[in-house]
Amino acid sequence: MSVALHIAREEWRLLRRDRVAVLGLVLLLLLTAVATFTAWEQRRTTDTERARHQGQVDHEFETQPDRHPHRMVHYGHFVFRPLNPLAAFDPGVDAYTGHTLFLEGHRQNSANFGDVRQSSLLLRFGQLTPAFVLQVLAPLLLIFVGHAALARERESGTLRVLLAQGVRPRQIVAGKLLALCGVAAAALLPALLALLWIGAATPAPAGLAIAMAAGYGVWLLIWAVGIVGVSAWFGRGRDALVALLALWAVSVVLVPRLAPEIAASVLALPTRFETDIAVARDLAALGDSHDPDDPYFAGFKKKVLAQYGVSRVEDLPVNYKGLLGMEGERLTSALFERYANASFERQAAQLRRVDAFALISPVIALRRLSMAAAGTDLQNYRRFVEQAERHRYRMVQELNRLQAEKLSFAGDRSSRDSRISHAHWHGVADFRYQAAPPAEALRRAAPAAGVLLLWLVVLAGLLAVATRRLGRVTR
Amino acid sequence: MNWVAHELRLLVRSKLALSALTLLLVLSALAVLSGMREVERQQQTIARLEGLQQQELAAQARKYTHGGDAGSAAYYTFHGTWDAPSPTAFLALGLRDAAPYVLRVRALALQAQLHEGESFNPELALAGRFDFAFVLVYLAPLFLIALLYDLVSGERRSGRLSTLLAMPGAGRGLWLRRAGLRTALVFGCLVLPVLAGAPASGTAIEALGIVLLVTAGYLALWSGLALIVATRSGSSAANAMALMGCWAVLTLILPTLANAVLARAVPVHQGVELMLAQRQAVHGAWDLPPEATMEKFFRTHPEWRDTSPLPSGFHWKWYYAFQQLGDESAAPQVAAYRDGLLARQRWTSRLGWLLPGVGVQAALHRQADTDLQAQLAYQDRIAEFHARLRAFYYPYLFNDVRFGPQDFASQPHFSPSSQPAEVPLEQLLGLLLMGAAVLALGVDAAGRVRPSAG
Repeated sequence: MSVALHIAREEWRLLRRDRVAVLGLVLLLLLTAVATFTAWEQRRTTDTERARHQGQVDHEFETQPDRHPHRMVHYGHFVFRPLNPLAAFDPGVDAYTGHTLFLEGHRQNSANFGDVRQSSLLLRFGQLTPAFVLQVLAPLLLIFVGHAALARERESGTLRVLLAQGVRPRQIVAGKLLALCGVAAAALLPALLALLWIGAATPAPAGLAIAMAAGYGVWLLIWAVGIVGVSAWFGRGRDALVALLALWAVSVVLVPRLAPEIAASVLALPTRFETDIAVARDLAALGDSHDPDDPYFAGFKKKVLAQYGVSRVEDLPVNYKGLLGMEGERLTSALFERYANASFERQAAQLRRVDAFALISPVIALRRLSMAAAGTDLQNYRRFVEQAERHRYRMVQELNRLQAEKLSFAGDRSSRDSRISHAHWHGVADFRYQAAPPAEALRRAAPAAGVLLLWLVVLAGLLAVATRRLGRVTR
Repeated sequence: MNWVAHELRLLVRSKLALSALTLLLVLSALAVLSGMREVERQQQTIARLEGLQQQELAAQARKYTHGGDAGSAAYYTFHGTWDAPSPTAFLALGLRDAAPYVLRVRALALQAQLHEGESFNPELALAGRFDFAFVLVYLAPLFLIALLYDLVSGERRSGRLSTLLAMPGAGRGLWLRRAGLRTALVFGCLVLPVLAGAPASGTAIEALGIVLLVTAGYLALWSGLALIVATRSGSSAANAMALMGCWAVLTLILPTLANAVLARAVPVHQGVELMLAQRQAVHGAWDLPPEATMEKFFRTHPEWRDTSPLPSGFHWKWYYAFQQLGDESAAPQVAAYRDGLLARQRWTSRLGWLLPGVGVQAALHRQADTDLQAQLAYQDRIAEFHARLRAFYYPYLFNDVRFGPQDFASQPHFSPSSQPAEVPLEQLLGLLLMGAAVLALGVDAAGRVRPSAG
């Protein structure tokens, strides 16, 4: 082992003298620092802003004047999606989804004001975050630094000398790998410090931060092993460099773009326009609560009358209009839920197709792991939308219940003239987003972690083959 | 032209060069095909929704015209609007995956409807599109680098450099011929699929010319850069590294950095604020005395002042008046929001003068009419249609005219823009200047190759 360490130390000494390597590493460290700072700053202002808006709309809801409850159903409420602390490391889909939802009766609105619609095309080049630096740029640095590790020794004939001195090929490869891992560790270190900082400054769960750090560690290890392997395989450093750059361009730049394109064209999503129309048609098929002869609502009326043992809605102890509102909302919400689930299921199916490409391009698995741990993937967005929808349902039904209980059937003339006290608005609209428990995020990240480890194992196997070959070809 | 045949023979013998060119051709063809498929899908969607919309309208007409009440017809009738992809859109799909290109609106307050999002998978959008703009901006430089990085050093290591330089007609001309031929082949591989796809997409000749010029300018810049680096005395690996470094900095690092800076320098919060302001205004109106709302409305719309007074109880004209007042009260926020968006767009265009990748994206997306400006223009057309819709309904509401099936049928229809996309002259000029300057430096560097350097 001391031989390997010795070789690694030699390699580091060489790298220290290589201006390109030093410059590259410094550039990368600088970028990580800038990325961490801007991403953190961005997350903080975004989150404060959303919290401020949430406070503002909560306050506005509670200070609404005396009103008919149904007016409040239409006044509705806004909820803002809070950001997970680790979003500073990997903001994931945050810029692509809207961050505010308008909740109102009888309607399910879309999330609005996603950054992608508000930014010029620059966002499409990527966001400067620690995740971007580690996913895209760090492997490039490792390629530049490590492509000649073994090819250089072979080219200059020093490999033969080393082997003649009784150094085993395994020791040489181990030494070079150790040296490159050292560089990878140096590239990873500032990002880890950033994670530590984020973890200390926010209540981010430590388990997620560790999973994330481990994921990026494995990612850089994959590249270190792969680079040393390619360097051992090729006789000339130049060839190794070209091969590695091609591998990088295909796996980090090309496939991650191509795969979603394929997934989206195989499994297209229906437009909002169509969904809205389909929902409206299904609703019309359910029945019309304004039509006294409508079979469904006639049945509902009969049921309510039987339940209270009266023969006319005027004799009910509660306001029938409120009950009708509640029943209508129950029906529409079930429909919304069905359509929303279908859409999310389809999106999940699209992502499964994309995930299959992780077998060609491990960065896809890394992204999945990173976003799941950071709480910024589609699943987390879905969680927010579904919680918001449940909140909308609770809020609207609470207001409908107020109409049923606080207004009499006779007194409920119109939504403009019949009002109840504003004291009832208190606490109706408060929304608290419950983040997913860390265990759930870890469970979701597990398959991706498995794929990354599989890559590591396969590449280690290939490195072993290349090592054996190295001993043979130089003999 | 003998040298062309000769150099081509040399090139064909190199497996790396040949496979690189073939791969580029395949990638460009794939990108163009996928872009055309997406455009076709969007056109089909628009056509399908048009049919669906007609059915809906027919159903609505039966339902809401026997009452003779224009107010409820206006309330329940949604109108389809659409933004068809331009004939150049297949090359650069831009924001069309995240912003809606079909939207239903009705005569209620517009600002609550205009910012509705489209359903799309954010994780798929996150990766960015695989279209021609992507192949050109990100991949084409890589191929040029692969073909040019060892232009000189390759000859040097094989020991042919001194012989080559000693031959008559060698020197600068040789390198320029070789680099020129390779760049031309890269250009050909890139644009052949575009030229094949353009007639099928109905792309105008001028638009095609702009696309070709943008491509040429960008490739000139990269081949100039490759010449500068490749004719230095460094080793092949050092040259490859330097060029890849340039590529990473120009196409990944600087634009990403610029995005971070721009997001901070031009914050756009007003989107949410305009929604909040508009809602307060619209819903607050329920609590104000209707006469006060009407008075406020008549101040800006005096033509309706002398119509019959508001009856007691609900009347649609009061309802639509406060809907419009809600939009009008949010006007300052709307203006601020759009100013912020346009400022971002302007700064991005300006950055195109420094960052060639950004310049190409800006030029192609402007030509394809798929950028932020196109999105705002679509919103403008919706707003214009919405104004016509209001103007159509108001006489029925304010003059208490019966609304019959005939009237329903004569409602305004959305008409899409027929204006061709604005030519991105400024971005094109910037790119061509940048390309020419860097190419000139490359040509200059090619004249200074010495046989025994480094």
